[in-house]
Amino acid sequence: MRLYILKALVHKEFARHLANRGGIALALLLVAAAVLLSVFAPEEAAAGTGMVGGVHHCFVDFDRASPLVKHLRENVPRELKEQIQFREIGNADALNGLIEYPVGTGAIKLRQVLEAGKPATIHVYIWHPKDDPTALAPYEAWFWRESRRAMHSAAEKKLGPGKLGPEPTFDPGTDWTILEAHDDFTRRVQAAAGTEAFPIPKLEINRKGLGGKVLDFRAAIATGMVVFALYFACVYLLPTLNCEERERGVLLAQALSPASPLEILAAKFLFYPLLGMGLAAALAGIYRPAVLSSLFFWLSLAAVAGGFLGIGMTVATLAKTQRAAFLGAMCYLLSVSMVLLICSTNGIPFIPYLALEYHGPRILHAALSDGVQSSHWLHLIGAIGLATAWLFSAAWLFRRRGWQ
Amino acid sequence: MIRLAGLRVLYGSFAAVDGLDLQIHSGELFGLLGPNGAGKSTTIRVLIGQRRPSAGTVTIAGYDVVRDWAEIKPRFGYVPDRENHFEEFTGRKNLEFFGQLYGVPRRRAQDVLELVELEEAADLPVRGYSLGMRKKLLLARALLHEPPILYLDEPTANLDIHSAEVVHRILRERVKCGATIIMTTHDMDEVEKICDRVGIVCRGKLVALDSPLALKQEHTERKVDAIRMDGERLVFDLDREPERRQLASLIESGAAASVRTREFDFHATFLKLTGQTFD
Repeated sequence: MRLYILKALVHKEFARHLANRGGIALALLLVAAAVLLSVFAPEEAAAGTGMVGGVHHCFVDFDRASPLVKHLRENVPRELKEQIQFREIGNADALNGLIEYPVGTGAIKLRQVLEAGKPATIHVYIWHPKDDPTALAPYEAWFWRESRRAMHSAAEKKLGPGKLGPEPTFDPGTDWTILEAHDDFTRRVQAAAGTEAFPIPKLEINRKGLGGKVLDFRAAIATGMVVFALYFACVYLLPTLNCEERERGVLLAQALSPASPLEILAAKFLFYPLLGMGLAAALAGIYRPAVLSSLFFWLSLAAVAGGFLGIGMTVATLAKTQRAAFLGAMCYLLSVSMVLLICSTNGIPFIPYLALEYHGPRILHAALSDGVQSSHWLHLIGAIGLATAWLFSAAWLFRRRGWQ
Repeated sequence: MIRLAGLRVLYGSFAAVDGLDLQIHSGELFGLLGPNGAGKSTTIRVLIGQRRPSAGTVTIAGYDVVRDWAEIKPRFGYVPDRENHFEEFTGRKNLEFFGQLYGVPRRRAQDVLELVELEEAADLPVRGYSLGMRKKLLLARALLHEPPILYLDEPTANLDIHSAEVVHRILRERVKCGATIIMTTHDMDEVEKICDRVGIVCRGKLVALDSPLALKQEHTERKVDAIRMDGERLVFDLDREPERRQLASLIESGAAASVRTREFDFHATFLKLTGQTFD
């Protein structure tokens, strides 16, 4: 690898962008958008709650596995399957004994007080986002409906079918109606049981606001811009300009010069990810300067840039013309978005884990909203794995197909 | 200097070059000629390392074109038939970039610009260049590192008479300095004027190899075109006794409106050798 050749090739890439200016104009627009995002209403971080549907994940934390928990687990509706996560309190991420809930999540926590081995009181803690007690409404509606069904079927099992009569209409809108309905249920059970002892646990509801934000909408926009900057440089600019050089024959002219294919490739590998990372870091830095001192942010940026570079080089190797490269980059983006959307709306597991676009935005959003959890490190490992796979695939294809 | 031995290049089952044997000497300006699809460009593609021979060997200064590619690469300059510049850069910037890759001093770009008479347009973007200017810029790029071998694919196509003269002068000067040049062209006047030797290929095979003059003499056909008073056109082959007598009687009878000896040029030689003769 000769430094003077590498320098000339990198300088050539830079000079081409200076001469064309289209890429620079878009980069400046992104920077302007980041400046506007940081200047206007910087404190209204949670303003987007309504727009993005509030809490995107709800934990059901329980102190012990009970028939109630079993019933709840077995009766999660299809549309909430991806959003509801059951876990024992001991398994939750905790800091100084306090459970940590990531940004954009809430929880329904169950603590059961036992008397003679049977639950005497069930404490239900609703951990909702601060300033938005209704954010968990869809999860609560499910929880209260299924809790009552669980208790009703347990009672019927003991007392015999039909003794309790049908369940009255139940509105889980307020704590008062929930408790009233529970008291009514307890009275009906006791009336049906007669002299037979059938204790129904007491119900206590506590609502608590979580510190932090619902879903940092501004951080989500900043994440979008950071991801777009990396995509733009590595998956769009790299293949289209590479294919343009190939189509015009200038790539051949360079290949016939003393520059080796490895040097030509290295210059592109250096320039485009660095351009993308530089732009992405600038956008992130404008939004939240502190993120630039975060190791997690830089690792995430490098992983996503590396993965996009692999994707970009794969497109560049497969496409023969500039138009094909452009269409390839667009088709890739649309296909992946479609697959992720289908998987998310239909609760299809595992497949999304194979997409860099699944892990990338999550880790970058966590870094930008200062909400890195242990699960984000797993996403980072996933992103690094996928980036490595893409880079290998690009190198393999390049070896097989070459420049032409 | 350049030796092709039994070169065969296949595209699927089609042999674009079919057993080509050729030896080009050092300091020679060699014209590789042939009709479209004869295998000239494929041969050049093998010489510039863009196509592997299916069979046979190609050596340049003793180096095998496949095995010793790294040794050969810096020794040649190439002018493709299709221009390939960075359109957004100026002519000078294009040359400076390639000059950096070749490790030549910055001043060299100005020298070659002057050589091809492009110094006035040097600081204009290439997208504003005419076809001829682009062609001259290609030659300037090929000359940047003063290579001992030049491969030129139709170097004077789209050039005006003066620019073509400039290119001819440059090529002759390079040959005088000991450079070996292989060029393809469809301009037979150019071939006669500047080529030391030519090889004519047809359907992938070498059909003739000699100097343009020798080929012309060898393949000359002595013919006379005549037009009778009634407008009928006749051709007489002077190598045939009966036709000579017929021509003589035509002239004596006064029935000939016009009689013209056919000036035999290299153009006709080429057509004859490639099986494309016309009367």
